Amino acid sequence: MKTVESDEEDFVFYGTPIQREEDVTSRKKKSVAEAAGQLRAVVPWKQEVRDEEGRRRFHGAFTGGYSAGYFNTVGSKEGWVPQTFTSSRKKRAEVKQQDISNFLDDDEKEEMKNRSLETSMQFDTFGSTAAEIARRQAEKEQENRPSAIPGLVPDEIILPVSSSIGVKLLQKMGWRHGRSIKDSRPNSLYDARREARKALLAYSSGDADAKLSQDQFDSDKVESEGVTEPSSDNDVFTSHSTPVFVLNPKQDMYGLGFDPFKHAPEFREQKRLRVYGNQEPGNKRGSSMKEHFLAKSGKVAPGFGIGALEELDDEDEDVYGSGYNFQATHVQEIEEPSVLMLEDKKKPGKTEQGVLAGFKSASTSDYQSERYSPPVIPDGFKPYHKFLAPLEIGNKHSGPPPPEVPPPEENNLRVLIEGFSTLVARCGRLFEDLSKEKNKQNHMFAFLDGGKGHDYYARKLWEEQQKRHDETKQPVDIKSNVEKMTAEGRGRILGERPSERSSQDSSSSVVADAVQLQFNLSDTFMKPGSISELPEAAKPFNVDPEKQKRFERFLKEKYHGGLRTTESGGSSKMSEADRAREKLDFEAAAEAIQKAGPSKSADTFSSQQFWASLNTQFTSAGVEDAKISQAEEEMRQKLYPRREEYQWRPSSLLCKRFEITDPYIGKPPPLPRAKSRIDSLIFTSDVMKPTKSEEAAIATTGSLSASQSKEPLITEQLNVEETAVDLKPAYVERPVDLYKGIFSDDSDDEGEGSTINQVEDIEKKTEVANTTLNRLIAGDFLESLGKELGLEVPQEPAVTTVNKVSNLASQRGTNSISGIDVKLAAVDEKPSTPQITFSKPIRDQEAAKSKSVRPEVIQGGSSEGNELKQITPGDFEKSKILSTRDRSGKSPEGEKSKRGSRHHRNYSSSSASSDEDEMSRRKRSRRHRSMSDSDSGDREYRKRSRKSEKRSSSHRKSSSSSSKKHKSSRRGSGRDEYSEDRKRSRKI
Amino acid sequence: MSTKDLPLKETAVLKGHEGAVLAARFNSDGNYCLSCGKDRTIRLWNPHRGIPIKTYKAHGREVRDVHVTSDNSKLSSCGGDRQVYYWDVSTGRVIRKFRGHDSEVNAVKFNEYSTVVVSAGYDQSVRAWDCRSHSTEPIQVIDTFTDSVMSICLTKTEIIAGSVDGSVRTFDIRVGREISDNLGQPVNCISLSNDGNCVLASCLDSTLRLLDRTSGELLQEYKGHTCKSFKMDCCLTNTDAHVVGGSEDGLIYFWDLVDASVTSSSRAHSSVVTSVSYHPKDNCMITASVDSTIRVWKT
Repeated sequence: MKTVESDEEDFVFYGTPIQREEDVTSRKKKSVAEAAGQLRAVVPWKQEVRDEEGRRRFHGAFTGGYSAGYFNTVGSKEGWVPQTFTSSRKKRAEVKQQDISNFLDDDEKEEMKNRSLETSMQFDTFGSTAAEIARRQAEKEQENRPSAIPGLVPDEIILPVSSSIGVKLLQKMGWRHGRSIKDSRPNSLYDARREARKALLAYSSGDADAKLSQDQFDSDKVESEGVTEPSSDNDVFTSHSTPVFVLNPKQDMYGLGFDPFKHAPEFREQKRLRVYGNQEPGNKRGSSMKEHFLAKSGKVAPGFGIGALEELDDEDEDVYGSGYNFQATHVQEIEEPSVLMLEDKKKPGKTEQGVLAGFKSASTSDYQSERYSPPVIPDGFKPYHKFLAPLEIGNKHSGPPPPEVPPPEENNLRVLIEGFSTLVARCGRLFEDLSKEKNKQNHMFAFLDGGKGHDYYARKLWEEQQKRHDETKQPVDIKSNVEKMTAEGRGRILGERPSERSSQDSSSSVVADAVQLQFNLSDTFMKPGSISELPEAAKPFNVDPEKQKRFERFLKEKYHGGLRTTESGGSSKMSEADRAREKLDFEAAAEAIQKAGPSKSADTFSSQQFWASLNTQFTSAGVEDAKISQAEEEMRQKLYPRREEYQWRPSSLLCKRFEITDPYIGKPPPLPRAKSRIDSLIFTSDVMKPTKSEEAAIATTGSLSASQSKEPLITEQLNVEETAVDLKPAYVERPVDLYKGIFSDDSDDEGEGSTINQVEDIEKKTEVANTTLNRLIAGDFLESLGKELGLEVPQEPAVTTVNKVSNLASQRGTNSISGIDVKLAAVDEKPSTPQITFSKPIRDQEAAKSKSVRPEVIQGGSSEGNELKQITPGDFEKSKILSTRDRSGKSPEGEKSKRGSRHHRNYSSSSASSDEDEMSRRKRSRRHRSMSDSDSGDREYRKRSRKSEKRSSSHRKSSSSSSKKHKSSRRGSGRDEYSEDRKRSRKI
Repeated sequence: MSTKDLPLKETAVLKGHEGAVLAARFNSDGNYCLSCGKDRTIRLWNPHRGIPIKTYKAHGREVRDVHVTSDNSKLSSCGGDRQVYYWDVSTGRVIRKFRGHDSEVNAVKFNEYSTVVVSAGYDQSVRAWDCRSHSTEPIQVIDTFTDSVMSICLTKTEIIAGSVDGSVRTFDIRVGREISDNLGQPVNCISLSNDGNCVLASCLDSTLRLLDRTSGELLQEYKGHTCKSFKMDCCLTNTDAHVVGGSEDGLIYFWDLVDASVTSSSRAHSSVVTSVSYHPKDNCMITASVDSTIRVWKT
């Protein structure tokens, strides 16, 4: 220890140092002193056990550690002694069950007791503490009491109950359980009876026998005392103020918490109905149940089931099911035997209808619903309404018909007149008079008073009346209608619009007319002829007239509002799910109609095609496919199959596993394909790309995509016609589209929005200027070379106008080595002569343009920014710049210091070294650029605006393609590069 | 090949499946066949002798497709439990389960070297799984489809898949290109011609369509059968002279490849014919049906 102390500054110690023997002596003295004195006062668990020497005794792992010992643990001087085995055979009485309390200290026991927060007795309103204390008391008693059954088992189950102070108080005041507080009748007999009733309520659906007897008892009571105690019925109700709830008494044989109806709430409803409304005959119930079952959950695959842990969802339906019908009734009986038994028992004794189980209908009833017999229908009553004012149909139509009058030009007026005449024909002249009165000021109704459109009105009215008359003439056979209320009939009454045919011949239409009037009115006054004007294309469900009808009604409700029929959508024959599905169908269709609306003319066929696809997608297996007309068929065949190509990047591992070299090896990760519309919006300005996910989109752009499908075919032949200009490819969002890059022509990019790129315009301009400058320099240089060598350099006459350039060029010209230059010039000259052989019109055009532009450029040096762009050869210079920028730093020429401008750097870059480079490249007819070159070039180009690319796009594309092709060295690249080379040389 | 060379004579009925048989496939040399079905088993048969050999059980739900490697050592299968199983044929043990599909898996195929399993699922994706490494992650996920992918075919360099969105998509690994041929009708099943130049697509408008793979042209349409709601296989005969397809009414149709006329149609099963598979060399064919049988047909 001493050494340790001396070295304390230098060392860091971890852990507890082992105490040496000599140190203990002082402690021993201390402990002796303390043992006599105040140490005793320390609470037991803080005392330390020490031996005679004053050491802290360590008992070891099995003897309790430090804290075991006489004072603070086991109650003996020896410490804790494990219990020795005693045979229970001989010393049965001495068998003592050990439990944890045997090994706990007092304080620990105390702690265990104080686990929960409890109210003190004073404030123990709800009796929880009292209950707790009572329980403890019982425990204590239990301990004292010898028990035949060892352990606490029975007492743990049966807990003593203690009521709260409030309850006690109330009870002292005469209150009893289950009685309302205000009720203070101290009648013990009454209490007992109510207790009985309460029990009855609680177990009303429990044991059948018990219930029956209770029932009997109770009803007897009621009968005997009903008269003498008229208030007793009242009390039954007030006594529920402290209800004893027995929620969902267990009646079935399922496991606790198992809900057989978890995913089928219909069954629950069904069950409830069966339990309470068991007056239905059994077989009928069963069949309806079965129906329900089949409609909801489909058929379960026969032969084998699914595991118990698997949910039965719709993929488990047996789609192949061959009509094996599930015995739903059988299953039902298995499910709940107790209830059914109960029912069976009850049935014979049950004569009264509408009585809850366990109840008997009272002999005297307070409430008696008064019933009146229905009024007697007089003979010859015709069940349709007549206005009091005579319709005058009979004599009206006998008169001569008003002459045919062309409808007024004003559409509104025409519609109004037509609607109004219909109304008047239905309601009679009175209505006309009324509205005449009402709308005197309204000039729209001038036709009533012989104003504008009166003749037409008269004619129309006559027609309508004629029509009405014909209808009313038809025999009205209401009886049959009443007898058999079909779904259609009900629908008609509810204002469904019957299809034309049915309204003509069915008798009940007259009844429905009054309701239909409302619809007609809304038709005529809200939106003229909305349904009739529905284009043929917008009748998607022509195949199924019923469905079409429903769809039209759906449309009407959706867009016109008005009265809604209760069962909108779907006939009553349909199940809930079917109806929902149909509604979804309708929604989609309606949406499509809306979308198709604006561009009606463009997509008559495409929308039809959409319907066709819709039909095939949504019709169930049984429904026959749409009869596609011949024209449609042709149209479809023209449309399909449609080929589109995209870039797709296989993962490198996939390539490896397929033993194919990765086509994208070493390439940066591809741009994610634009998925959302927003993405595509960024890249495509005016042309919608055909999103495959949306049929609607296809519908609108159908014609467009049709032409697109031809594109790949066209591209092979390189003479692109002018017509192809407006057929823009849809894949603009993939900027590195290979094929497009190769094959599509310059005009592709015309009309592309340059909005996003305008920001970069300035930068671009300077770049463009640089490249042209470069080129000019090179031209200069060549020219001077040519002069030296006595060759004719084509078409660079006014080099001198750009003075600084020419200066430098000449400067450099002297520096250059002539040996290589000869070759260069020779090579360059060659392609310049066969220019005429270019057969492609566009290329020629461009060539002409560039020719015509060139002099301007050189003359008007100030307008560089705009004009130079046009003849910018584009990429290769650019990439050259980029690549040579680095080199310019290393270039031996010190000119850089003179001019810090970019111009300078650029042409210095195209100084000797780069020129050499270029020359050597030109020697080869096919130029192979290095990876870094083309890449950087590409990247640069992506940044540039499309505007400037308009002219140079062909260059760009061929360059990008060549860069891409560089690795794979596929066909096509050669030709392109060749043409590019030619062009380049032409320009120079 | 004339009509009498068509395998129209039933030589064996393979019974054992409980419930619908969803697929039946010859192995690469045509000596054995595999079937799978709604009873969650895969069964290996000798169709020529008509005897069952082995049953593979591990799937938790119905098995929709099965494929065996060319060396007959490994199986892959898929189904309603959203996993692709990779089996050892001889021991019948599952070597690996590939999880990742978000929904039922409709079709599965090995590539030529049996190094990759490619699966197509209801989750609108095609996934490629590596059999070599121990990774259970897909090495490639293709999710450009807009509806359930029903069927898949592999060549040496391409993955071809047909989807309910009406497209047959070819993913060329060598070039890195996706070619989508939109047929306008939900595609149920695709099958390659033996020369590899054409692809036969079974559409849900009861039409089989033959496409030229290089140009995407529609070469021929085969009609007459019923195919409106079930996934049903179609294939070409080993000589590419006829097109074979089942029908929902239990008939088997043979069409002439060129003029699309129905060469033969005969009743094969009592219910929907889910799968047809043609022997790679002989005039032999197996058909599977919802009626839980597999029938072997020879000339």
